[in-house]
Amino acid sequence: MDPIIRVSGLSKIFSFPVKKEGVGFFRNLFEPEIREVKAVDNVSFTVKAGERIAFIGPNGAGKSTTIKMLTGILFPTSGSITVLGLDPSKDRKRLAYQIGTVFGQRSQLFPNLPLMDSFEFFGVMYDLSKEEIKRRSAELVEQFNLSDFIDQPVRKLSLGQRMRAEVAASLIHKPKIIFLDEPTIGLDVVAKKAFRELLIAINQKENTTIFLTSHDVGDIESLCERTVVINYGNIVADMATSELSTSYVHEKYIDLILEKELMEYPTLPEGITYVSQESGKVTLSVDLHAYSVSDALQKVLPFFSVADINVYTVDLETVIREMYETTKVSR
Amino acid sequence: MFKDRIHYPGRLVADVMSTIARCGVTLILYSYIFKNRNNDINGITFQVAAWSMFLYFAFMNLRLRYLATTIMDNVKSGTVENLFAKPVNYLMYRIWWQIGQGLYSFLIVLIFGSVALWFFVGIPDTMSSAFFIVTLAIVFLLSILLSIGIYAAVGLLAFWIEDIKPLFWIIDKSVMILGGSYLPVALFPTLIYSIAVWSPFGASQFITHTVYESWKTNYLEMLGIQAAWIIIFFILVAIMFKKAHKRVSVNGG
Repeated sequence: MDPIIRVSGLSKIFSFPVKKEGVGFFRNLFEPEIREVKAVDNVSFTVKAGERIAFIGPNGAGKSTTIKMLTGILFPTSGSITVLGLDPSKDRKRLAYQIGTVFGQRSQLFPNLPLMDSFEFFGVMYDLSKEEIKRRSAELVEQFNLSDFIDQPVRKLSLGQRMRAEVAASLIHKPKIIFLDEPTIGLDVVAKKAFRELLIAINQKENTTIFLTSHDVGDIESLCERTVVINYGNIVADMATSELSTSYVHEKYIDLILEKELMEYPTLPEGITYVSQESGKVTLSVDLHAYSVSDALQKVLPFFSVADINVYTVDLETVIREMYETTKVSR
Repeated sequence: MFKDRIHYPGRLVADVMSTIARCGVTLILYSYIFKNRNNDINGITFQVAAWSMFLYFAFMNLRLRYLATTIMDNVKSGTVENLFAKPVNYLMYRIWWQIGQGLYSFLIVLIFGSVALWFFVGIPDTMSSAFFIVTLAIVFLLSILLSIGIYAAVGLLAFWIEDIKPLFWIIDKSVMILGGSYLPVALFPTLIYSIAVWSPFGASQFITHTVYESWKTNYLEMLGIQAAWIIIFFILVAIMFKKAHKRVSVNGG
């Protein structure tokens, strides 16, 4: 299957004037010092149709800038982008007919009007006929469970309701790709779960490609099959979400539930360390470069009288944090 | 387009009442001044001055001035990205939106204000001809186009300097003064009158000149001045808009 998004050597430099110290007002006005920030630095990747991809990174990593270049809002400084065969910087309007966008921190709906009016407005904007708008709105109202508040002004909706409405509105024209920039920001756990389920349903039912940025590990874990990690404008990882933990963090944790409390904790072999020592339970960290889990168990079990064992990988949040910190150091 | 405006009729009524109050107070003050001058200042009567000022206030209800501040708000808040991601021309969208926002209150003020003014001060002879109706329609359209050009250019500056409020304030007040909101243009001293005629700010309000006797002899020159400014501003706006999109740098992005 051919990729529907191709990004090659993409870079974006923002430049802004900086006030020079000890220089007069007019000099600063007409000859300011221009400082440059490389927000995206030589990024390349592809996305296939129907993929659910998370594009993650710490604040200021370049993820939103990348999404905005993919949608034609920002112009790249260098490199090339093709989305659905179009160059977003040259064919922004044509591309807009085929993509949907949701920016979690900025609403596209009309705050004073009932939600249905926003649907109608966007339908007209995307050149849909009256019948198409009616049919598609009805579909989305049912799918996103919007019927209870479809006639309410948008500003009176809860955040969870509004975000559902935002995504529904962005799907009015059945886009092939939907770009979501931090869509679950501020949502409670129930609303987040419902929101993710809706996106998966849209992806499976309409084969809509989902390209998402988020700081929420839950979004990444439960929604996206693939994760691209960007930091300081560079891609530092691009892999299946399920492989993130194993590929990046080479350690496993072992909880040992002890039959009796220990007065003294034995010294462990190199490569195995204590993470915590509680009464009746110790948690060990195993360096997978040194031992496999079974080897590690064989090494440590003789030291303890064990009632139960629990082996697990670090959670994804820790993996991601580790990734951000590692790439920060290595830069 | 104007659904957003009429969804809350209270807001619409408040807008209209505020215009009526401002225009009404100004006209009451002028009625006393004209009474003390035997209803003739600089060759014009209170009736003519009242209609001239009313046309200014009615036109201002189109709210085209807010085109500039809305663009600035979009740039500063970053909501400009929502519209750049849609299959529309951002500037055209903002222009039509602004027209839609003002159309209802403009029509209400125009209709009810005209009836009230007709009732209270009558209609000057200059307004009772086909020539007046035709040229009023033309100058009205050209005034809309020129106002759009001026305020779009000011608004687009937000892509470079973000906060355009000081510049907007200067230009907006220039339009108000040179357009004849505080003083009917026929009463301007010669120099100010020339500036009002030849500057784009005064030219954007030529609608206020249509009730004067001099309109019959000056209208071609004035329409020409308006047309020239429209061409200049539209070229400027087109160039600015092309460059503005390349300068989008959304906060948080």
